[in-house]
Amino acid sequence: MGTATGIIRALNSGIKHIAIKRFTLRYPEEKLKFAGDGYQFDPSTGVGIAGLKGRHMLFHDHCTGCQLCSIACEGVAEAIAMVKVPDQQKQNKKSIMPQIDYGKCVFCGLCVDACPFYALYMTNDYELSSFSKEGLIYTPAQLQVKPYVAQDSEIQITSRGATHG
Amino acid sequence: MTEKFPPGLALQKVDERIMTLNVGPQHPGSGHMRIIVQIDGDYIVACDPDPGYVHRGEEKMAEYRNYITNIPHLERPVIHDSCNVLYPYVLGVEELVGIEVPERAKYVRVIASELNRCIYTMYWLAIYGIFLGHSTMFMWPAGDRELLIDLMEKMSGARVTHAHFVPGGVRNDLPPNFEDVCLRQVNYFEKRIKEYSAVFYDNPILIARTKDTGVLSREDAIRLGTTGSVLRASGVDYDLRTKEPYDVYEELDVHTNVMKEGDSYARSKVPWLDMLESCNIIRQALQKMPKSGSVRTKLKPNPKGKGLNSVYKRVESGRGSLGCYIVSDGKTEPYRLKLSVGSFRNLIALPYLLKGEKLGNMPSVYWSLNYWPVEADR
Repeated sequence: MGTATGIIRALNSGIKHIAIKRFTLRYPEEKLKFAGDGYQFDPSTGVGIAGLKGRHMLFHDHCTGCQLCSIACEGVAEAIAMVKVPDQQKQNKKSIMPQIDYGKCVFCGLCVDACPFYALYMTNDYELSSFSKEGLIYTPAQLQVKPYVAQDSEIQITSRGATHG
Repeated sequence: MTEKFPPGLALQKVDERIMTLNVGPQHPGSGHMRIIVQIDGDYIVACDPDPGYVHRGEEKMAEYRNYITNIPHLERPVIHDSCNVLYPYVLGVEELVGIEVPERAKYVRVIASELNRCIYTMYWLAIYGIFLGHSTMFMWPAGDRELLIDLMEKMSGARVTHAHFVPGGVRNDLPPNFEDVCLRQVNYFEKRIKEYSAVFYDNPILIARTKDTGVLSREDAIRLGTTGSVLRASGVDYDLRTKEPYDVYEELDVHTNVMKEGDSYARSKVPWLDMLESCNIIRQALQKMPKSGSVRTKLKPNPKGKGLNSVYKRVESGRGSLGCYIVSDGKTEPYRLKLSVGSFRNLIALPYLLKGEKLGNMPSVYWSLNYWPVEADR
């Protein structure tokens, strides 16, 4: 193949892209949709349930304060600290629950795997930026709140190329 | 005056014609490393790669963490290829602890590792494009990578650093309807990367810049101990997926791509051919995978190795063979962990390839070695 033909073919390949749809995701306006409701773990079978590993969610009525999540995090990020909580739960004699520092968390989800009481899950919320380091520390009361997520954009493949519909 | 200086800093008496240049470590054309080149006019006389700027002591860190908490930090050397970096470690721990992996988990692992190989190679290709001043080749791979990152995110819950493999299988089962989505996106991805041949690989400008530069002969490639795509580009048919099949690779039809030239062009094309092959492997694995079943053998909370024992496992990563040597002394932590990475083995060839080349060819030869600085430093 000659030099001229090669260059024309390369240009032609680029020109075809004028007709192809835009693949870029316009992030703050559009948000990607994820499979499932976030990463969860079923201790009875020992297998997780697929989902995004985002911000955690803590169920106060299940947490027994056993510290297994904190122990699991010790070798990874040391992001989980057990703190005193004011509300007295029946199953939680010591009244301690995990407090997570998202400045340190690496979102590996090993704490969720460690929890034997279905108390700690991960949600689809990944927008955790804050103006201060203290703002990244989530107390048990903050972790109890289910985040509001509006994520609806998915990759769609059409005859005119892939796009985030 | 025989005082010892770090390389590149010592005052040395040189020929007036020779000039020493430090490329990096803050140069966009070098990655996190420094290449000390001595040039005579426009030609390189000698070259001394100086890695080690991003060393983080992964091997020592592994001695203080147990077999499970080692997983998140061991995948940090190559975050785009995190499943393949973790693969030999996981295989080794499985043999040390003595657990069997369910059949479905093996297929899930193959799919995850092939997707990761493509994600890594696309990133590498994007940088190769921008090194040569071909900005279209930076935009396209960086965009098309998203198709596969989306699949990995559905599969494991993270876009990079998945922490998906564990001794005994994988962390979670595939989400519902994953097979269809995966097949559709992988097919489209294959169609997209085939378009790269017109714009990049058959482009006369690329051919003029990379053909016959940095030629590594077949004998030299074997003698220097290179691996992966560099070895295959020099005409050696060597791929661990076919030579030493691990998990279910022996049940899959894996074709090894070999090119005979051994120049920068061949070294840049073999990873692209491997990506097309990876698409084939993913399709085969999706077809042969058991449709249901367990994906993880339940492991005790703190697994221990059985007595004084050692194991060496290696897999084919995006950059070549990646070995992991684990010594256990019966405790919950490994006694010693050693990674043998493809990046470092390929870097050894750089001084030989650059001798006599023009300085302008340095980026194309250097990045065609399929080198990832962070992995080499570990």
